[in-house]
Amino acid sequence: MSSTMTKPDTSLWDQQRNKIVSKKGGWFVGDGIYCHGYDMMDELVGKVSYMQVVMLNATGRLPERHVADWFEAVHICLSWPDSRIWCNHIGALGGTMRASAVASTVAGVLATDSRSYGIKPLKEGVAFIQAAMASLKGGLSVEAIVVNECEKHGGKPYIMGYARPIAKGDERVLAMELVAKNLDFSDGEHLKLAYDIDRELLARFNEGMNINGYMSAFLSDQHFTPEEVYRICATLVASGVSACYVDMRDRPAETFLPLRCDDIDFQGKPHRTL
Amino acid sequence: MEKRQHQKATSRNDVFADKITTRIWEEVPSKGNPYIAASHRCHGYDLLELMQQKSYVEMFYLLFRGNLPSSDECQLLEQLMVGLINPGPRHPATRAAMNAGVGKSDPQNVLPIGLIIMGGEHLGAGAVEDAIRFMRKHYKEDPIETAETMLTELAEQRPQEGDWYIAPGFGSHFSGIELMPSQLASVLAKLPGSGSMLEWGERFSSALNKEGMGWLTVGVAAAVFADLGFHPRYGAGLFQLLSAPGLLAHGMEQANKPITAMPFVSDSAYVIDYD
Repeated sequence: MSSTMTKPDTSLWDQQRNKIVSKKGGWFVGDGIYCHGYDMMDELVGKVSYMQVVMLNATGRLPERHVADWFEAVHICLSWPDSRIWCNHIGALGGTMRASAVASTVAGVLATDSRSYGIKPLKEGVAFIQAAMASLKGGLSVEAIVVNECEKHGGKPYIMGYARPIAKGDERVLAMELVAKNLDFSDGEHLKLAYDIDRELLARFNEGMNINGYMSAFLSDQHFTPEEVYRICATLVASGVSACYVDMRDRPAETFLPLRCDDIDFQGKPHRTL
Repeated sequence: MEKRQHQKATSRNDVFADKITTRIWEEVPSKGNPYIAASHRCHGYDLLELMQQKSYVEMFYLLFRGNLPSSDECQLLEQLMVGLINPGPRHPATRAAMNAGVGKSDPQNVLPIGLIIMGGEHLGAGAVEDAIRFMRKHYKEDPIETAETMLTELAEQRPQEGDWYIAPGFGSHFSGIELMPSQLASVLAKLPGSGSMLEWGERFSSALNKEGMGWLTVGVAAAVFADLGFHPRYGAGLFQLLSAPGLLAHGMEQANKPITAMPFVSDSAYVIDYD
């Protein structure tokens, strides 16, 4: 149908003008505040954890308390106050520049929309283990899954969730295993597969599973999609960024890794005239 | 739960650079204080000389491309900069800046708020890189044939409702052909500095018109950036830069008004529908 011949159908937008149809909730003055079908003041405040509400808002489902507690613990694992970490570094620069705590923290959080670290690799990790599970159920062996994935990267063990950058081994996996045990979780099929992949990679490359791989498999066993994990974790690094901001905000300005002119290695064109 | 054995965490001892390197900017230290620069140079040119002898657009091009533009390139970039200076008050990114303004957010946050929303993949900066790559991939093809092929092969992907973006930088908007991008492209394509991307895009867009689609603003920007030789990955940021003045202007215009100066949807028009 040629739209040059007929009047364009703008009804999709016309129906939304001057009104909001929310699938999430809202505030009606004098009546109440509603969140995914719950009365927030009567049913959520003081009765569920903050992390449960974060997950409710991100997924539309109120998780059981122990799932939210696990998620809260993994937030601690994935954000710590070391200003060398890229997102934290931005927070520290905000502190030394006297940007606000909000702006600096948001800037650091924004940096984690990254191909190399932060939340997007986590999304890829969840997608990988769920695809690997589908392959396993389709008859592929763990060995074949590993070989196929490594072949995509020139035979190297670059599987999202395994072979941690910067360091080998990941102390956070052990910490989260203990959290899971204390919260009475048992290993699900994705986690069992992740451990099998871990064993295969250790045997072939001496590389193992990192926190991304563990978290991706655990959350897959809890039936989260990659996009849901990404949305829940949107502000995953906020606390570490804030810490690094505060560290530098409370010191004299521009004292965070100050640079002399010759600390920059200029490799461009020599002086020239117009 | 089975107890697992784990590798002990050890450093890979990756080798990181000792210093930040750059080919863009040189700061020559002063004699008395190594933190104070005596002169600044951009790709070898002294900043003070540039300031006195070159326009902002020439300087902008030099900063990103490493050399000063020809007069034709300068004219093309400048006209695009004028054309994209304001996404307009209906654009979601501008509205974000206006909301920040009327909400009395710190003034220094107004522009970043608008720019973050402008980074979106729907007709925002997040769509520019793909549009550049699309045109670079197809510009040696006959644009009419490419359009016909895509219209045929992708016909089943046409959404039941909403717009169809048949290719990055091209599609419908509010069920119709966007007029301003087409007019911008038409003007820009006549300039001596315009190149094969803009020319190809003009013909591709025309071939889509019969199906109610054409240029989108991000497509026009992408074509010009490509013709000027900018790397696709620069596209998003350049698009944000060019739209920044309008975002800030509209945001600050609202900042001096009471919070009631913008609509707040009434309870009667706010509907909760959990499906």
